[in-house]
Amino acid sequence: MAKIKVVHYINQFFAQIGGEEKADYPAEIRVGEIVGPGMALTASFGDEAEIIATIVCGDSYFNENLEKAKADILAMVKEQAPDVFVAGPAFNAGRYGVACATIAAAVQEELGIPAITGMYVENPGADMFKNQVYMIATKNNAAGMRDAVSKMAPLALKLAKGEPIGASAEEGYMPNGIRVNFFEKERGSQRAVKMLLKKLNGKPYETEYPMPDFDRVDPNPAVKDLAHAKIALVTSGGIVPKGNPDHIESSSASHYGEYDITGVYDLTEETYETAHGGYDPVYANKDSDRVLPVDVLRDLEKEGVIGELHNKFYTTVGNGTAVANAKAFAAEFSQKLLADGVDAVILTST
Amino acid sequence: MRLEMGHIYIKDIQFGPESKIEDGVLYVSEEAVKAVALEEEKIKSVSLDIARPGESVRITPVKDVIEPRVKVEGRGGIFPGVVAKTDTVGEGKTYALKGMAVVTAGKIVGFQEGIIDMTGPGADYTPFSKTLNLVMVCEPVEGIEPHDYEKAVRLAGFKVAVYIGELARELTPDETKVYETCTIKEGLEKYPDLPRVAYVQMLQSQGLLHDTYVYGVDAKKIVPTILSPTEIMDGAIVSGNCVSACDKNPTYVHLNNPVVHDLFEQHGKTLNFVCQIITNENVYLADKLRSSDWTAKLCKMLDLDGVIVSQEGFGNPDTDLILNCKKIEAEGVKTVIITDEYAGRDGKSQSLADADPAADAVITGGNANQLIILPKLDKVIGTLDYVNKIAGASEETLHEDGSLEVELQVLTGATNETGFNKLSAR
Amino acid sequence: MSKNSYIVITNNPLVLERLNEGHKVIYKEISYEEILKEARDRIHDGHRLLTHPLSGSVKPNETPYKSILITERKEKMDEWSVKIIESAIQACGKFEFKSDKYKPEVYRDFQLIDWTLLESGLASADAW
Repeated sequence: MAKIKVVHYINQFFAQIGGEEKADYPAEIRVGEIVGPGMALTASFGDEAEIIATIVCGDSYFNENLEKAKADILAMVKEQAPDVFVAGPAFNAGRYGVACATIAAAVQEELGIPAITGMYVENPGADMFKNQVYMIATKNNAAGMRDAVSKMAPLALKLAKGEPIGASAEEGYMPNGIRVNFFEKERGSQRAVKMLLKKLNGKPYETEYPMPDFDRVDPNPAVKDLAHAKIALVTSGGIVPKGNPDHIESSSASHYGEYDITGVYDLTEETYETAHGGYDPVYANKDSDRVLPVDVLRDLEKEGVIGELHNKFYTTVGNGTAVANAKAFAAEFSQKLLADGVDAVILTST
Repeated sequence: MRLEMGHIYIKDIQFGPESKIEDGVLYVSEEAVKAVALEEEKIKSVSLDIARPGESVRITPVKDVIEPRVKVEGRGGIFPGVVAKTDTVGEGKTYALKGMAVVTAGKIVGFQEGIIDMTGPGADYTPFSKTLNLVMVCEPVEGIEPHDYEKAVRLAGFKVAVYIGELARELTPDETKVYETCTIKEGLEKYPDLPRVAYVQMLQSQGLLHDTYVYGVDAKKIVPTILSPTEIMDGAIVSGNCVSACDKNPTYVHLNNPVVHDLFEQHGKTLNFVCQIITNENVYLADKLRSSDWTAKLCKMLDLDGVIVSQEGFGNPDTDLILNCKKIEAEGVKTVIITDEYAGRDGKSQSLADADPAADAVITGGNANQLIILPKLDKVIGTLDYVNKIAGASEETLHEDGSLEVELQVLTGATNETGFNKLSAR
Repeated sequence: MSKNSYIVITNNPLVLERLNEGHKVIYKEISYEEILKEARDRIHDGHRLLTHPLSGSVKPNETPYKSILITERKEKMDEWSVKIIESAIQACGKFEFKSDKYKPEVYRDFQLIDWTLLESGLASADAW
């Protein structure tokens, strides 16, 4: 039987080109070459698979030229037509992790070639793509290479052969929101007793079914003196000045916008619109006050119900945007709101 | 309380002129067993069959699975308040016939479910593919209402199990195990340094075909209470539950409750197994609030350090599970819960109908929506007429080659929520 | 709880047949999921849920019938009721729809089971 063909993606560091100073190294393909961690992968594949090409790309280059880098690498992979694509492992290297995850997901999505990567669970790439592509959980540094490869190689082979993939606990990939059955070594009651003893003794244990994430935020105390308060508007409904000057994405937004509304009393069809791709935009485009109620707040300002409406609003698109990204946006603009002396925020969603 | 459990291993079941156990073989007089079952006036006829592990046999629709036992010393008898008269059980000496079960089957309602495959992929999931099964298919008298039929089959099964258990009364067990719990004071003195642990068992109690009985009392009418964990070994809790085959507890599971047995394994070593607390899963929300208040209160009053909570069924009981967990944790008692999942055929849906951050230690019996193909088997005990009507089956259930495409839901005991099996999910 | 302090929302004709005089019943010939939504709309309006909407081990979409008890009186919206009903509606999506695939006599059995589940709720409601 012919060997399974693998294309491997690594960064400039693992290709021994250099560290941070070489991170702008553009994407290149080395056909027929096995580079760096590719050696360990090859050893692990045995006779079953071979790396037919290695793609090397600098981390800064990839992240700063995202669209071009992605397109170039996809074209390289497409030409090689491998049975499976392997990226990394990236361990705890943030930009490398994001690159591995992004390109692995793109290869799978756009070329229909199964892909796999590996990184440390806290690598930002993990949170962004673990539900889209199989991602082996690795240690947080390259000392975990052998361990990472010992899980990545067999899973890559299974994917290439189209074999059924077991549960995350069996295969070593990060839980991806898809529950898969498998047989444990001990019956449930024994596992329960063991888990209880660990919990009683303050030892770490891993629940078999993590509850859905509860990001509960305690409400702030009520604003005491609304008549003298400075109120700001923030939205995840995608309201932007007409033409979407900062190109906020219609889904999975990578940034937020800050816009001045000094002297704006009403958002009209001619001046504002929504960038959001997750709901029917007709009514929001016709009158963006429906999502970001500038008109009503101006009225309240005039009536003296509120002190004033802050002259800037912050906006992004909540459509599939990673929670980690949304948190980072808010952490940043909250500082600006505080610095501007804003007392309270009205947050609107769609 | 101290109970000595004598295990008698059954190696085979055969029909014969006289019922007896000889050299580990159970000989069954069909006539005698039928006479016992037909004491139930609502049953018109009974057919008996034997299904052995590995045979190409499918049993369906299964109602209950029961392990025969006999009380040889001490108060009361097996199934107190149901077959034996009411008396506190759980001490003295009891014999159990291991490796076998009495399985009752019958079409109680048109969507009756429960499949036991003795071989093939289905056999990996149902624990009752590993037991020698004496199967009773019970037909009712004409014009009977489902609740009378259910009750008649339920009682016929218990009586036959008791009849078979009696055959072991004079035998010498192959193995003996002793289960002993202390009183509160004794426990404190004997194990001052061990964590005090209890088992909170939630009993299905929603209505017809969804009931459980404790000493003959309908569990929906109880307030949570405590048992010595040995009581269940004498049949203090029995099943009247025959919907949701995968995660209902057949009487066999109550008798052999795995949480009770595994906590006993650690009793006196790493923990002090104080007691079993039973509670219910009623449909009325105020009942849920009251029952969960009471379980939490009992945990507090018993000065427990930790509990394991097990569930029975889907949906409605998720709410009880979470209420119990949340309130018990709020009393400072560490909690592990056992459940199963309905994550959809693709595994992508929310597994439970309720959730809370306090439920941070969960054991799962697997995703009951997972599809499985059960190949055609040579023999069917019962009837296949209803397989495409049962939970987790669909129009496409019966393939042309005679195989069935179903969800794990239909397999008796497949995703049991007392931790009876090794199946899990991630 | 007196009979006029709760409302039965149902699509089960047997419930209509068996409930005696004096019960407040909203009977609609709609699906299981739509019955849940009928209850949800009223919960948003301030009625409180009295029985669990996923009562019974026969799964949504497998049985066509569902009966739910809510309070007659409207109060402040009850958050627990909202949470339970929303989760129940969400759960419907997990099960293959096969409510329309049975022989006629099977429907009678489904009706009976739904009625007995409701009956056990009524017993608790009527107890005080």
